[in-house]
Amino acid sequence: MSSRDRQPVSGGERLALTLLVGLAALPHLLHLEPVIGLFFGLLWGLALLARRRPSLAPGRLPLLLLTLTGAGMVLAWYPLLFGRAAGSALLTVMAGLKLLEIRRRRDLYVLVYMAFFILVTQFLFFQGIPILLHALAVTLGLTTLLLEASRAAPAPLPWTSLRRAALLLLQAAPLMLVMFLLFPRFSSPLWNLGPQQGAAVSGVSDRLWPGSIGRLALSRAVAFRVEFGGALPSPSRRYWRGRVLWHTDGVEWRPGADGPDPVKPAPAGGTAIAYRVTLEPFPGAWLYSLDLPLAAPDGARLTADLQLLRPGPVKRRTAYRLRSAPEPAPRQLTPGERRRGLQLPDNVTPRMRRLVAGWRRQESDPRRLVARALGHFRDQPFHYTLYPPLLGDNPVDRFLFETRRGFCGHFATAFALLMRLAQIPARIVVGYQGGEVNPLGDYLIVRQSDAHAWVEVWLEGSGWTRVDPTAAVAPQRIERPLNPDLIQASAGAPIDFVRQQPGPLGRWLHRIELGLDAIDTGWRRWVLGYSQQRQGELMRMLGLDFLRGFNLALGMVAAASLLVAALSLALLRHRSGDDALARGYRRYCDRLARIGLPRRPHEGPRDYARRVATARPDLAGRSGAIARLYIALRYGRGAGDRDGLRRFRRLVRAFRPRLRPPRT
Amino acid sequence: MFTPPSRFLRLVRPDAGGRARVGRRQIYILPTRAGLGFGLLLLLMLLGSINYANNLGFLLTFLLAGLGVVAMLHSWRNLNGIEILAGRPRPVFAGDRARFPIRLRHGDGGEHPGIRLRLDDQTVAVDLPAAGEKVVELALGAGRRGRLRLPRFSIDTTWPLGLLRAWAFVEAGHELLVYPRPGPPIPPPQAAEYRPSTRGDRGVGADDFVALRHYRPGDSPRHLHWKSLAREQGLQTKQFGGDRADRLWLEWALTPGDSETRLSLLCRAVLDASDGQLEFGLRLPGEEIPPARGPAQRRRCLERLALYGEKA
Repeated sequence: MSSRDRQPVSGGERLALTLLVGLAALPHLLHLEPVIGLFFGLLWGLALLARRRPSLAPGRLPLLLLTLTGAGMVLAWYPLLFGRAAGSALLTVMAGLKLLEIRRRRDLYVLVYMAFFILVTQFLFFQGIPILLHALAVTLGLTTLLLEASRAAPAPLPWTSLRRAALLLLQAAPLMLVMFLLFPRFSSPLWNLGPQQGAAVSGVSDRLWPGSIGRLALSRAVAFRVEFGGALPSPSRRYWRGRVLWHTDGVEWRPGADGPDPVKPAPAGGTAIAYRVTLEPFPGAWLYSLDLPLAAPDGARLTADLQLLRPGPVKRRTAYRLRSAPEPAPRQLTPGERRRGLQLPDNVTPRMRRLVAGWRRQESDPRRLVARALGHFRDQPFHYTLYPPLLGDNPVDRFLFETRRGFCGHFATAFALLMRLAQIPARIVVGYQGGEVNPLGDYLIVRQSDAHAWVEVWLEGSGWTRVDPTAAVAPQRIERPLNPDLIQASAGAPIDFVRQQPGPLGRWLHRIELGLDAIDTGWRRWVLGYSQQRQGELMRMLGLDFLRGFNLALGMVAAASLLVAALSLALLRHRSGDDALARGYRRYCDRLARIGLPRRPHEGPRDYARRVATARPDLAGRSGAIARLYIALRYGRGAGDRDGLRRFRRLVRAFRPRLRPPRT
Repeated sequence: MFTPPSRFLRLVRPDAGGRARVGRRQIYILPTRAGLGFGLLLLLMLLGSINYANNLGFLLTFLLAGLGVVAMLHSWRNLNGIEILAGRPRPVFAGDRARFPIRLRHGDGGEHPGIRLRLDDQTVAVDLPAAGEKVVELALGAGRRGRLRLPRFSIDTTWPLGLLRAWAFVEAGHELLVYPRPGPPIPPPQAAEYRPSTRGDRGVGADDFVALRHYRPGDSPRHLHWKSLAREQGLQTKQFGGDRADRLWLEWALTPGDSETRLSLLCRAVLDASDGQLEFGLRLPGEEIPPARGPAQRRRCLERLALYGEKA
């Protein structure tokens, strides 16, 4: 280690380091256990104070105690030290402790590296544009610090190093891009580091009870985005099919055990629509499709009841292409489907049976019976509300005959049960309904608040037919999505969809929101969602699809080397305008030196030119012109004269003295 | 620092004008210890990013990797083209520390921060400003009299990030004269040999009375011999002499001891004579420095003593 390595870290460097490490750790403090944040804050404040008053700096023993306390805290709150949060907590605490122990040059580097590592661990918890901007800002600061630290003395102007750091980062950016695009991606992790502990991802689950969807209705979180190849389907067709629920115990609906599935999924009819879904991660092991999917994408299978199931949960953002058609395929109901579609819970009450029996006496045709049931929901005082009253252990009975206020889950479960009582096979489909068109991005955003449940009934001749009892009560729900921000206030009251038209300010805010979502979508598509698959697509697009795996890595090295070569050339040539003059003059001298007339160190341009003129009269004119112009540009009025400089360079370029004077 | 076998060593050497310029082919670059740590950090970040398929992690990792590569170019460019020129070194006595002033400059109009010179275990660091030059000093123990040559030293920089060290070996060939170590202050090694001055005592001194002469206009009234005026011998002016100083010959032949001892004693004698404002000359075997006084004579004599036995 050199003597400089042993030099203590200066006060300015210490302050910058403390501030930067604090800034780097800030996002972690937002999501880690508050006690970790408090402890880090304590260490940080102590480091800041100790800079001013060295007597406050903890000695060896207090530092040891602090270290033990920190380790104990992390262990107490993250018992197994397992997973990302525990690792991040440990790292943050360690960085805080290290701030109190900046003694040698080496400590500065250790802390800078810790700060970089803190930055990268934050990407495990945050994935937005702001966190990247934060990381870039801290990186700029840390680079500036390193630049200052490798100088002999602090820069005379405070922003010299900052500007230089920005320049370095700008020059590193193309390399970053090449490596980012070409570094081979793997589809599976190298090793499994335990369960996902990231932000809670939620969504439609494969259990449905009357109130279950209401929890999602207030969430603006995006469930998935859909791009259509052609025209968008009309709002009333935007039913996004997820899970199909067959079995009910009177309170909750579940998919139920798969019966023997003799029926192959039959292609649906009508005009098919092609589209691409980008699904946000959620814990379910299925995909969403526009009613009704024609075939399964890779990695999923299409079941007879037209669900797209996949082997494991959707842990990452997943994109897939699908085609859907609106009409169910004509086919026969299988005995298994009939049995499952007519299954009844054991808490069916007599008044439910009486209600259905009344309908059956009036209507014998199943279609008319369905219409009769929908009419019941429409004509009786049923209300659509996000804040339904609590229902007991027989929610359907209570909802049908007493409260009559509910959400799509209430209507769907009640309706399906009534259909089964009427001997019409029925099942519930959960998924989403609607979606918002983003005019700036030309795609559809489906949010958690669009979660929906509806019923499918078997009608002879038509097959499984979608019936949405919610639409009977609140048809606007189908035509226009819920805006959770606007229904917050009207808790418990029936939702009046007409009143939800936002004012001008609201519309304007909404436009901004849509614009941000378009940026966010591009961000997600091109940055966060850049995967092995997308890398393959890009390589195909560039005609480089022979580059795979190891070859891709070689390609990356080759491309990066080209960039470095280009950069080094640019750096070598990069000189200020004034020095183009010096360079030109040096070139002129070099050329004369080559013919045996090197400039002597003490010789100025005028003396040199005079000597050249004596030795080689044939060169006198041109050499003299160059020398005169050089003197004028360098010392005379011509300084800064761009045209003069250009003429000078032209003269020098054309000045190619021969070894021997031409014979005359 | 890594030093390749001397056969392959590329040295920075001065040109005919005494200017040594660090050329692009003479620069070596290797990571520093901090740079190795940085590599380890990048590896960890890369593994983490791969494992969690975290594209933002990839972005930051690759940005830092790019930064490292760019830093290498800048380190190299920071050193490339630096000119090393000799300052004017002050001679020293054997046993003292010789200081070689080294002028550093660069002609590309940009700042060159964090330039360091290393000689053995001493390091001097300097930031070269955009224009102008900086002078730094390398110190070296001067063991024996004669010419002291600045040994091969290295010029290096870890700028911009401290991750990589670019360096070059310089054989600047700067030299400095080392006088013999002054011996003990003994009385002059021989009786001072006084000789009549060839030109002194013409009555232009101020110390000793010499004679009277006729008054000339312009003579100082203080020097008037009033008594002769009283004796009516006319106006006479007193004349003074005394410009004939002690003239000292320092003789090799009369100095005891072996040759280095003699040189050492003579060195002391030169210093004393010079301090005493004496006029002195120096006789060495085969050469003679005529008597004179003043710093030029002192330097001349010390140089001869320093280089005694060497070809001039």
